[in-house]
Amino acid sequence: MTATGADETTPSPAELPSGMSNGMDANETDGHAIAARGLQRTFKGGIEAVRDLDLTVSRGEVFGFLGPNGAGKTTTVRMLCTLLPPTAGSASVAGIDVVADAAGVRRRIGVALQEIGLDPVQTGRELLQLQCGLYGITGQRGRERTEELLELVGLTEAAERRTKTYSGGMKRRLDLASALVHSPDVLFLDEPTTGLDPASRMTIWEEVRRINGDGATIFLTTQYLEEADQLCDRLAIIDGGRIVAEGAPEELKAEMGHDVVTVSLDGADHAATEAALCELPGLERVAAEPNALALYIENGATAIAEIVRCLDSESITVGAISVARPSLDDVFLKATGRRLEGSGDDGEETQEGER
Amino acid sequence: MTEVLLLGRRAVREIARYPEATIPTLFIPLFFLVVNIGQVSKTFPSSTPFLKGEGYAAFQLPVSLMFAVATATTGLAFVTEIDLGYFDKLLVAPVRRSSIIFGRLAADLVRGIGASTAVLLVGLAFGVSIRSGVGGAIVIVLLAALFGVAYAGFGVLVALRTRNVQATQSSFLLFFPLLFLTPNFVPFERLSPAMETLARINPVSYVIVGLRSLVIDGWKLGELGVCFAVIAGLGVILTGLSLRVIATYDR
Repeated sequence: MTATGADETTPSPAELPSGMSNGMDANETDGHAIAARGLQRTFKGGIEAVRDLDLTVSRGEVFGFLGPNGAGKTTTVRMLCTLLPPTAGSASVAGIDVVADAAGVRRRIGVALQEIGLDPVQTGRELLQLQCGLYGITGQRGRERTEELLELVGLTEAAERRTKTYSGGMKRRLDLASALVHSPDVLFLDEPTTGLDPASRMTIWEEVRRINGDGATIFLTTQYLEEADQLCDRLAIIDGGRIVAEGAPEELKAEMGHDVVTVSLDGADHAATEAALCELPGLERVAAEPNALALYIENGATAIAEIVRCLDSESITVGAISVARPSLDDVFLKATGRRLEGSGDDGEETQEGER
Repeated sequence: MTEVLLLGRRAVREIARYPEATIPTLFIPLFFLVVNIGQVSKTFPSSTPFLKGEGYAAFQLPVSLMFAVATATTGLAFVTEIDLGYFDKLLVAPVRRSSIIFGRLAADLVRGIGASTAVLLVGLAFGVSIRSGVGGAIVIVLLAALFGVAYAGFGVLVALRTRNVQATQSSFLLFFPLLFLTPNFVPFERLSPAMETLARINPVSYVIVGLRSLVIDGWKLGELGVCFAVIAGLGVILTGLSLRVIATYDR
């Protein structure tokens, strides 16, 4: 057995930084796969990567953690995975405090970080066998588990190749397999599909669903709204180190309480068009998008006739007018004031004009 | 212990699969051995008193052995793992952080044994005979390899502190003054007073003297004891510091 009984890096309560509690009450962690309270991380130079973060993830949930680059997603994951100690606050994973019993947490979690953690010199099989060994699964059991996982992620044929020869998708799948050797209670996936082609992304999604179906709680960070929408039971949006929205994707979208009518400007004057439409009944706000206006309005379908009438009365000719239910992108826009990079707008800054 | 063996086996496999990382580290010591012998052997024929009847190659052999085993390879391996993200994978596994270092150092021992054996064989080809016999040759190889393990701690220390390839590579440069401020060309008493003082306070001198005694004198337990004590002391200090750094890594 290789797992350690005590971790030499786990600080005693007296060694904890001021402001950081050692452990959470049993009530706070009850029924939760992950619970964080007042979690903070400040780096050298006073950079506050995560600020006063409260979070709970129920057992068996797929929880999405959504945010732009630099929002604090990876820092939060690293704290929850025991790779980074919080500056203040507390967190537990699988009911175990991440600071007081870091080794205990490590035995219960699987981690696939944003940077694919593979040793390029080893073959896929060797890497998984080593990973099994590090989790105390040795001998015949280790070999069987390795073959199971290779089969599971479709890498049996490539098992004897060094991982440096693998494609991006194969590396991701192997990394995922290496996080699963000990059947973890909680699986952390930090942007598992970033940089993958659509086919590889779908494969990872299927894997995530299957792993979750087997009972694992999944904490998934992503920049892709569609990914969060497809996979997550609940999600939180983090921006500037703070959670700015949290809930089930459908709830969050429903909370928007309006439809989105997109008016393609097609050469029409931006300001004049906005001025013509700003008095529409039920209009919550107008957001300027590249060569279009997004109108957040109650009952979008019935508003179209009124929109056309207003534009006609001002002799403004526009392109297509379309109605859509609010998307997570809209939820993100409302919560953060900008669109999520990589969500389909290619990261273009959107100026929001409140009515 | 199992985790150290697993990680050590992986590191040895890496050495075997990347011979191009090890072979250049052998080139410099062998080059110095050949050049020094070629340049100085006529100045110091075997009749020179401090050579005690041996050729100058015998006097130089320990210096080349030290050169062969003192590398920044392990430190560089850590920096690479950090860059690739594999280091995080190891940190998040339920293993002692110290095992990650000991696994690498175990591989250093294997590499050191291989490298010092190769240099010793070249020395024998140059006509060096080991006064302490086969047993002495084995002890020479082991002590040299252990010195390599001890010195590797310095590269690891720099690697974990800086996480930078250039800085880690540069850490090897420190070995040059450590190796040349020693009785590497002539014994202590033939050095200038200032050099002798520096050489006498340089711990590496005593490792060279100890190894040299096995080659030229036979079994001199006093010098061997000091040699072993210096290697052990260096190992404890440098590995201890590395363990401290990895224990507080990102903390």
